[in-house]
Amino acid sequence: MPLPSFALGSDDRVIAGVCAGIAQTLGVDVTLVRLVFALLALAGGAGIVLYLALWLYGRSDRPWWAAVLVLLAGSLLLHAVGLSDRAVAGIALVAGGFALAWRQGGKFSADAPLSYGGLVLAGIGAVLLLEGGGATTTVLAPGAVAGALLLIAGPWLWRLAIERDAERAARIRSEERSEVAARVHDSVLQTLALIQRHAQEPRRVAALARRQERELRGWLYGDRALGDEAGSLEAALSAVAADVEELHGVRVELATAGDSPADDALVLAAREAMTNAAKFAGVDEIDVYAEVTDDAVSVFVRDRGAGFDRDAVPADRRGLTESIDGRLARAGGSATISSAPGQGTEVELRLPRRPS
Amino acid sequence: MKRRVVLVDDHELFLAGVRSELGGAVDVVGEAASAAEAVPVIKELDPDVVLLDVHLPDGSGDAIINAVAPERPGVRFLALSVSDAAEDVIAVIRAGARGYVTKTISGEELTAAIERVASGDAVFSPRLAGFVLDAFREGERVGGDTELDELTPREREVLQLIARGYMYKEIAARLHLSVKTVESHVSNVLRKLQLSTRHELTRWATQHRLV
Repeated sequence: MPLPSFALGSDDRVIAGVCAGIAQTLGVDVTLVRLVFALLALAGGAGIVLYLALWLYGRSDRPWWAAVLVLLAGSLLLHAVGLSDRAVAGIALVAGGFALAWRQGGKFSADAPLSYGGLVLAGIGAVLLLEGGGATTTVLAPGAVAGALLLIAGPWLWRLAIERDAERAARIRSEERSEVAARVHDSVLQTLALIQRHAQEPRRVAALARRQERELRGWLYGDRALGDEAGSLEAALSAVAADVEELHGVRVELATAGDSPADDALVLAAREAMTNAAKFAGVDEIDVYAEVTDDAVSVFVRDRGAGFDRDAVPADRRGLTESIDGRLARAGGSATISSAPGQGTEVELRLPRRPS
Repeated sequence: MKRRVVLVDDHELFLAGVRSELGGAVDVVGEAASAAEAVPVIKELDPDVVLLDVHLPDGSGDAIINAVAPERPGVRFLALSVSDAAEDVIAVIRAGARGYVTKTISGEELTAAIERVASGDAVFSPRLAGFVLDAFREGERVGGDTELDELTPREREVLQLIARGYMYKEIAARLHLSVKTVESHVSNVLRKLQLSTRHELTRWATQHRLV
């Protein structure tokens, strides 16, 4: 049976990190552990010796010295509460003997010589205890009984705790596994099915694959673009770009320099510019670049497509005027559209940054 | 003459895809699926360009560059990446790669990028350009070598246009420069990116993804 592992706490240490380590292992407040050690230290210095023992154990290079020190600490404690030297020696021998025997494979196995040795030591201790106890032991008999019970039940409780931990770990693992399975099913498998069904439509397949890629990446890496910093310009543009890609089957390449809180008018105008490019330019790819400087936020939406003559756009096609120019003007910004037939289009959206 | 290219990537499917996309445009002389395999292959074949996956099962691309470069200074590296952290991409570029493209790049663009790298120029994707502009922000200079730690206004303009999706040819037309001049601006920026000690480079890279 494995001993529980225990690492010295390094972040929260005051002396060697023993209390921090114990608190972390047991999941209790470190102050409580420190208090227990302080009280034990008052009991004939037992706390100090125990601290030393656990420090050795935590370094995991001298477990035997640690065991001996634990025994010493226990003896000091018993001595401090008033047991006679003889009784203390007896109890120490019993405890040490049982520990020795128990260490041989976790149970009292008949073929391990040290087990016998341990049992013999424990026997001698018991004799010492019973013979020399006299008046003092009667006073402390409840303590001795409790100690004996602890010795017997301790290993069992210990094993129980470890089994419970193992069960919990297994449960967490299986929960994680089913979460992954559900996620893969809902997204990747669905997309693959859709791709098979639309195998004849390359644009649609590309759009499906790209959307899936975004989702998966967002999930795997906790991409900034997908959730972590919702409300940032980069995240908002990235979400808008994904929508446009999906709706119109184009690729949107988004590049950014700097980031700032998203402004709705700017993001919506950028979306409109991307949508226009996707609908009318007749290209597969749109480039979007957002730049945040100290005094302004600029978004460039560019395509290498058909281009157009702005004067020739009928007045009832309100997309550009209303959604882009008007929207930005109301927010205190401006839009510049450069395009010529056959030369592609670039929309520059610029919004001064409000002093914050 | 066709450029001799070695592909280093551990994804079989991707290798096959690149090979067919590059078609007859370049001469794929060798392939490797790991860093350990790549180093001797590159040393032996001495290709013009190595297309290098940023992440390999047994190490990252910068280790290969460091192992090969001293013996084969003529070999140029172009980093390819799917979803690697900016940190890793920057590490490969600082190790000496002359450019960085994403794996979603089209065959045509990839061929052009290989040609550009082979002739000694640099290749920046729009995202990388955005990164450099961000990392070399004005007014945040920190000691060190000023020349290496600052972009000139012209370099800034060029990078901005790359980030906006312009090709070198279009940038040249717009800024009334020759394509060669645009290329030399980008190469200068690459040099600064490789040699600058600006702490923003690492700080930024740890917080962002390039792809």
